[in-house]
Amino acid sequence: MDPKEAERTLESVLGRLPTGIAADARLEQGSSTTMRFANGAIHQPHREELSELSLRIADARRLGTVTTMDLSPHGLSRAVAEGLALARSAPEEPKFPGFPDGGTVRPRTPYSRATARLTPEAVAAHAQRLLDGARRDLPEGRISGVVHQGDLLRTVANTRGRLAQTRQSVLAMRVLVEDLAPDPPASGWAEAAHWDGRRLDGVRLGREASARVARAPAVSLPPGKYRVLLDGSAAAKLVDEFVSLGFSARGAEEGWSCLAGRWGRRIAPPGLTILDDGLSPEGLPVGIDWEGTPKRRTRLVDRGISGGPALDLLTAARMGKRPTGHALPPEAPLGGLGALPLQVQVRPGAARSLEELIRETGRGVLVTRLHYVRTVHAGKGIITGMTRDGTYRIERGEIVAPLRNLRFTESVLTALRAAELWGRERRCFAGDDERGLSAVTAPALLTSSFRFTSATVF
Amino acid sequence: MEDLLELALRAGQRDHVLAVEVRIVPSSVSESLAVRNGRASSLTYREAAGLGVRVRTDRSWGFATASSLDRATVRATAGAAARAARAARSRARRPLTVTEERAVSNGRYRTATRVDPFSVPREEKLRMLREAESALHVGAEIKAGEASYHAWREVKHFASSEGRSYTSTIVHVGAGIQATAIAGGEVQRRSAPTSFGGDFRQAGFEFIRELDLVGRAPSVGREAIALLTAPTPDSGPTTVVLGSDQLGLQVHESVGHATELDRIFAMEAGYAGTSWVAPEQVGALTYGSPLMEIVADATEPGGLGTFGFDDEGLRARRVPIVTAGRLVGTLSSRETAARLGLDRSGATCRAEGFYRMPLIRMTNVDLSPGDLSFPELLDGVHDGIYLETNRSWSIDDKRLNFQFGTEVGRRIVDGELGPLVRNPLYAGMTPEFWASMDAVGDRSTWHLWGVPNCGKGQPGQVAHVSHGSPAARFRNVAVRGG
Repeated sequence: MDPKEAERTLESVLGRLPTGIAADARLEQGSSTTMRFANGAIHQPHREELSELSLRIADARRLGTVTTMDLSPHGLSRAVAEGLALARSAPEEPKFPGFPDGGTVRPRTPYSRATARLTPEAVAAHAQRLLDGARRDLPEGRISGVVHQGDLLRTVANTRGRLAQTRQSVLAMRVLVEDLAPDPPASGWAEAAHWDGRRLDGVRLGREASARVARAPAVSLPPGKYRVLLDGSAAAKLVDEFVSLGFSARGAEEGWSCLAGRWGRRIAPPGLTILDDGLSPEGLPVGIDWEGTPKRRTRLVDRGISGGPALDLLTAARMGKRPTGHALPPEAPLGGLGALPLQVQVRPGAARSLEELIRETGRGVLVTRLHYVRTVHAGKGIITGMTRDGTYRIERGEIVAPLRNLRFTESVLTALRAAELWGRERRCFAGDDERGLSAVTAPALLTSSFRFTSATVF
Repeated sequence: MEDLLELALRAGQRDHVLAVEVRIVPSSVSESLAVRNGRASSLTYREAAGLGVRVRTDRSWGFATASSLDRATVRATAGAAARAARAARSRARRPLTVTEERAVSNGRYRTATRVDPFSVPREEKLRMLREAESALHVGAEIKAGEASYHAWREVKHFASSEGRSYTSTIVHVGAGIQATAIAGGEVQRRSAPTSFGGDFRQAGFEFIRELDLVGRAPSVGREAIALLTAPTPDSGPTTVVLGSDQLGLQVHESVGHATELDRIFAMEAGYAGTSWVAPEQVGALTYGSPLMEIVADATEPGGLGTFGFDDEGLRARRVPIVTAGRLVGTLSSRETAARLGLDRSGATCRAEGFYRMPLIRMTNVDLSPGDLSFPELLDGVHDGIYLETNRSWSIDDKRLNFQFGTEVGRRIVDGELGPLVRNPLYAGMTPEFWASMDAVGDRSTWHLWGVPNCGKGQPGQVAHVSHGSPAARFRNVAVRGG
């Protein structure tokens, strides 16, 4: 992945356009190793070297996007021809503002060459450390998880001379430990991601997961509204859902965002600030979006007050605003979504530790991980999902019993409005794809209003 | 192409490697067209080409992929797969065994199409989408309309060092419409033929024309508006009749995924989860009502889960999963079938594309029709609810506790469909729910639905699968408004 070669490829494809035709182009080049393990051993080692070019052509105000993995001269010419044909058949986008100018943009973002160059053997060794750590306190546990290492080079250029480039390195680790002896079986979970893999300690994460495995049989909890302490992974998932339902460009434009009618208004306690920050070393930094707009720190929720939606070139033009640096790739399926914040961070809170949060919870439930979260009602921000891998009853400020997993059905707005306390310590959690496309850096968070609607049997 | 396959097979044969499988895709194209509120929304044409190599040692798999087909890359990719396998092997604790199966060489498979979707002028497709989208706007409450169309064509060459080889060309198409109505803080969506992009089929453009999106659009828009002021359903247990599309999703989530042998063997435990089914229960477990008949049929004409050969090079099969309510089979691969003691895989190992490792995926997992017409299904219902078209779905990591929402419900009163209800949710536990099925609709209520968005695996993969399903009736189901 040679940055100069990437620039030359984009120059070459844009140079094949007829005079008077505008376009922007993206080249994503990635190399990665993913080691999945299950039943205590690596079972799916995956190595990839993939490059994909995306070309969005504007014939006046008609837009079409073509992608190709064929970067040969013939492949680039074919992409141009196909893109032109597509654009010429497209309905007009009356508000298309043209592509932005802006010269060369190469934001300085944290990047670890050592992480980017980890060999498959080194990634396997990381997986082994997770396994070793998980086994240390629970030798008979069933252990599963994944280690993902990636190196990404993103280059964006357009016919108005913009050239933007960024690199991203990532190491993500996830580990599940199950004790099959009790009925129902007990499980524990830990995960973390970092742009600098040297900051992650596999043994420690493995031990953290096994420490969460309950040593007593899980009991049932009746459905109802509870004080709930969402540990980092669960809190990150809740925030991720809130951001998707609230700040998507399309939701704002069409009026079905859960923040419609609430922009600029108080939606959370005054201490809660949620940012999108592609430059921060606390997340998985990536310096530009897919239109080449440089990332900057954006306040999504500023001391409890809602900011505005994420916008790309087109949605910003249609709403009479400026792009915010949150464009997604213009090709389907993501292109239709408009823009979305993907490097989200919850600012640190006041609680010094998880133990303090447990004490402050008093009577409630500790949730380690949320599973299969889906939207029930976008406009109201209602989501549903399950708890898994470590759900506990808290009484008198102490964990007293493991719980059988619970289904929640709750509005993200209700849960965040009722946020009482959250931690100083934060951790970066990669998005569902564990590849660094998105990440949420979050602390554990205590909310006084979280509704469980049913329970499962384990 | 044969020389590249041969090159990769040779290059993958390193120390400890027992078998090499190569998939070379010289051409994978897709077209996605969508019109939203009169504008083009993400018109996209994709081309991809590359290879994926999977190798097997006595203790591990290894996979590598690259998006280039020059000889140096082909050789390097095969070597990378072997290297990945060796890295895993050195830490493996158990031998890896697979079923020994007859090798089919020079297999051929091709989707039968009457009209090649890539030969239809784009203007015709966009005209259809624009007309359909425009027809959704039947009132000021419709704040968003969308009409979308997708087509995929993949040419694949497969060869293995065990003598299997085939070439396949598979074409999938699909389209749908959706209206979003907003008023008074309420948001309602209505889709056709079903939600999440519409209906999909392994077919040519003739399937798209038969969908009649333009003709369906006004009633979709009207129903979205009507839902804004419809009441929510009463909470409590009641009789539910599920429409074919929602029951297809129920099959997908609570039977299809639960009977994937990799989940049953905890190979997906860390991500998607496991299953409530234990390996020793296959052949003995009562899954649901005696009326429940489910097959996974990769030979079914038109299914998105239909193919000639899977990505282990095995010929497509029809596998009974549930017979008379009893679990009799699973979705399997060579490795998992061998682990269960079977002598044959169910041939359901597929990858999203050359760039992903094959996993156990659903094929066409169908609920067989019964013998009651739709009015006869309603006949036995004094007070209940009919639910259609999925809006939200969530299920626990063993596929037991589920909660699904649909776009629309209708009260059933004395055997007749009554007024609309909005935001209906129903919930339950998989075996109890399937045990409560007391009537199954006949062939007139059955439809083969294409589902192009089934996620699984790390790195993530999206599979195209299908579910044939009738309407059916379930007693004593927990229902409430969302």
